[in-house]
Amino acid sequence: MTLAIVPLTPLERGQLHVIRLRAIRNALVLLAAAVAAEIFVPGLPVRGLILAPALLLALWIAVFAPGRSWRRWGYAFTGSELHVEYGLFTRVHTIVPVLRVQHIDVAQDVLERLFGVARLIVHTAGSENNFVVLPGISRDAAEGIRDAIRERIGSAGHD
Amino acid sequence: MTDPGDAPQRLHILTVIMRFVKRAPSTLVVPPLVLGFAGREFHPVLAFGTFAAIAAAVIVTTWLGWWTFTYTIGEEEVLIQHGLVQRNRRSIPRGRIQDVSIERSPFARIFGLALVRIETGGGKAEEAELDSVSLAEAERLRALLRAYRPSASERADETSPAEPERRTVYAMSLGRVLLRGVFGFSMLWLAAIYGAIHSIDRVVEFDWEKWFGEAERVALAQFSIRALLLVLAIALLLGVIAGIVRTLLRDYGFTLSHEPGRFRRMRGLLTRSEVVIADRRIQLGLVHRGAISGRLGWNTVAVQTLGGSEDPSGRQELSPFATAAEAAEVVAATPLPPFERIGLRPVASAHILRSAIRHGLPVALVFGIAGWFLPPLWWGLLLVPVPVAIALFQRSFHRYALRDTSLQVMRGVLSQRDWIVPFESIQTLTVQQSWLQRRLGVATVVVDTAGASGLHRPNVTDAPLDAALALTRALAARVD
Repeated sequence: MTLAIVPLTPLERGQLHVIRLRAIRNALVLLAAAVAAEIFVPGLPVRGLILAPALLLALWIAVFAPGRSWRRWGYAFTGSELHVEYGLFTRVHTIVPVLRVQHIDVAQDVLERLFGVARLIVHTAGSENNFVVLPGISRDAAEGIRDAIRERIGSAGHD
Repeated sequence: MTDPGDAPQRLHILTVIMRFVKRAPSTLVVPPLVLGFAGREFHPVLAFGTFAAIAAAVIVTTWLGWWTFTYTIGEEEVLIQHGLVQRNRRSIPRGRIQDVSIERSPFARIFGLALVRIETGGGKAEEAELDSVSLAEAERLRALLRAYRPSASERADETSPAEPERRTVYAMSLGRVLLRGVFGFSMLWLAAIYGAIHSIDRVVEFDWEKWFGEAERVALAQFSIRALLLVLAIALLLGVIAGIVRTLLRDYGFTLSHEPGRFRRMRGLLTRSEVVIADRRIQLGLVHRGAISGRLGWNTVAVQTLGGSEDPSGRQELSPFATAAEAAEVVAATPLPPFERIGLRPVASAHILRSAIRHGLPVALVFGIAGWFLPPLWWGLLLVPVPVAIALFQRSFHRYALRDTSLQVMRGVLSQRDWIVPFESIQTLTVQQSWLQRRLGVATVVVDTAGASGLHRPNVTDAPLDAALALTRALAARVD
């Protein structure tokens, strides 16, 4: 179930790999910490008291969560609004009216470049959501949205 | 007009002396004393020698600071230059100047000086301060800078720019300020004072113990209870006095006036501060009623402005202690529409359950866990029904409506807030559904605005999902 405000476009397939690789890294860090705790915490009543739950959590993080999380993402650009929806536990659907955009960034880190995706970051004058990030779209799509927003703001500015 | 012309001008020369005196405690007194006492005994020569050397150095640097600082009121811009080694030039286009405010600290009053602050649209860092010029110069600058109109002036009839038509919207009498002070009594003060007194009390108790020994334990216990009550009463009294003093210092002579395009707020006993709030920078309006003062009919009207505020809430207080009628009048003076109580829609009944959980669970957890370590704290669990009982009323006090030009939201049982959010102030809209909210079929609409951050926001929490989506769609359509 989505929040069904507008029909949403899913993210690029490449973003799934990005999410998965980041998740594997997080799971490994968690496991390393758990192994260290298992060895160094004295007087554990049962062996595996820390490691077993950590293993389950790591399994969830690395195997089950990425696909679900990726499927929850969606976006739509209507020309006057940018919609971004995400969230596994708490679902969030943010609407950024184009006329409120202050400036726009398109960013790519190494991992994202490897899988051919980019992040669009839209800044507003707001205080809580003063920037909204839309990850996992192709660089062309990101630049397309950026140019469209820029054009819209520019023309509104001269009215 | 040669006088206000393009020649760079310096601040008032007395500024050098004022700054010198201001710096004296940190530069002239402490280092010489430290040096003088550096050995085993006091070295007057060393102390006075350093004193003289530092004094000379401070005077020279202060004078250099004054000498290199110049301001120029140009045809189209205000240019402020300062720095000897690293020259800084700040140019402020005169069209960007929102207003010029004058502030006079007690110190500046002694010297007959005033601090002039040139306010622009940006944040604090982008403003310019002239610290300090003579009062006459301050008033001349204000009149001059305000008189500026871009070449195509829309108000040609305004011939006396120094004093445009101004009316007082709200003013506090001394009695009103004192009354506010009684309610301005803060728990924080109380806690601090109580903590200090309690530690003294412990010492006192220890002494009694020592003097009278074990046999006097009962008498001591009685004394302690009485002492405790006394201490509480004193703390309460001190809290009230501290609140009154603080409020008196801050709000004495509170006057809010409105003139075309802007509010002007003056307040303060020792430091008179003057704040200008341009109408077009007002983002939203908030009428707040405190838990106790609100029940007695007192309202605070605040506006959120672009660029924020130095008030603790991040919003500008327009009238801190007003009757409902006065508050309505203040709101009417702003470009905001009035807050209408009629026709507000309640949120879903699930809000009661969620509020009960959100407010009751932390209390239950804190005392539950604390009781594990210190069993008397189990009694704290008896407090849990209090937030839960309040939660039962949350829904009837959380309502919202979409008006012609604004979103209006009211919220809060004890401490109540009425929000007026014009559509053009909405920066982003977010619909949120937590796991529990999905089970209950409700959603929260987060309305983000510019200028203030903090706990209290004009969000609509736990509206039925379809209503939340409809509200979001309607708001999004109006923002565009």
